[in-house]
Amino acid sequence: MTFDEVSMEHGKSFIFALQELKNLRPQLYSAADYCEKSYLNSDKKPMVLDNMKDYVVRALVNAVDHLGTVAYKLSDILEKQTFDVSTMDLKVSTLNQRLLTWHMYTDKEGLRQQQLLAFIPRHHKHYILPNPVNKKVHFIPHRKIGARQNSFQTRTRLHSSGTPISKTLSWHLASETKSTLKKQTSRTSKNTKDSKFYKKISGVFHLLDSEGSTRMKTSAAQPHLTNGVPTSGAATQTMGATGRDALKHSKPLTTYGSFDDRNGREAVQVHTRSKSVLSSFFVKQTAAKLKAGSVL
Amino acid sequence: MARAGGITNAVNVGIAVQADWENREFISHISLNVHRLFDFLVQFEATTKSKLASLNEKLDVLERRLELLEVQVGNASANPSLFAT
Repeated sequence: MTFDEVSMEHGKSFIFALQELKNLRPQLYSAADYCEKSYLNSDKKPMVLDNMKDYVVRALVNAVDHLGTVAYKLSDILEKQTFDVSTMDLKVSTLNQRLLTWHMYTDKEGLRQQQLLAFIPRHHKHYILPNPVNKKVHFIPHRKIGARQNSFQTRTRLHSSGTPISKTLSWHLASETKSTLKKQTSRTSKNTKDSKFYKKISGVFHLLDSEGSTRMKTSAAQPHLTNGVPTSGAATQTMGATGRDALKHSKPLTTYGSFDDRNGREAVQVHTRSKSVLSSFFVKQTAAKLKAGSVL
Repeated sequence: MARAGGITNAVNVGIAVQADWENREFISHISLNVHRLFDFLVQFEATTKSKLASLNEKLDVLERRLELLEVQVGNASANPSLFAT
């Protein structure tokens, strides 16, 4: 009621001002006619002229005042009407939004009723844990590590598909994943150390094998010397020389470093031993010939 | 005597010219102000017309929206089964 009364009052005042402005026109025309007649009929024309000037100025000022009042009031009314229209527009927008919301709700309810599948809740994004395995650490393709990774992935999937998880829980799980990753890295380092140790052990085993082979060769060489001992002194001298040669040949065996070099040297030694055996047989033949010559 | 008459005549002419000059100045001043008043009125008319036109347009759009809403509400109210579900 108050708003309507105020608007009515404003409207009335505007109409009143406009009416006054309209009434001003005939007044000005009548004043002009009077001034014209008085100037023409009067004998004191300068005085009449001065009076007419003053009146004209005042009339113009009055007219301008009325015009200003009417313009101001009209502008005020237009602004108020525009404000009212804007308010109505907002209200209509509100109603439209409500109606759209209602339509959306009815559509969703209809779809829900028509669905055959069960309702699956969807969780917000921050409840879904990121996959830190692929992002942070690169693993060696071993079965054990792969199995652990698969179990970890299944755990993360269960958590993501299960009940919603708060930020604190996600942070806790991320910290657990980090600790497990550290343990796995430490275990991989231990495995590498074990492999190195195994290599060292295998190297030592090879060394032992090589030493055994050398001992066998030396033991095999001894029966020849014992079996080949003759009864004469010359034979004993020759055998002593061959023994010394055997000792000389046998000494370099211990000074070699690598297995490959040892194999080559052993082959050379075999050749030298065969030559020495052949030389011993040759010596025997020469001795036999010398004996036959002495008998003759 | 002729000299005295000539002098007075000249003085009268000067006074008349001065009065005429003042009158002309007054007239030009009045006409200038009336012209300014006219310009103001023309500008005011233009602005008022544009405001009224925009207001009229807004009112038309508002009426159309209201009609659409009325139709939609009528359709919604015509199906009470949806509310029942």
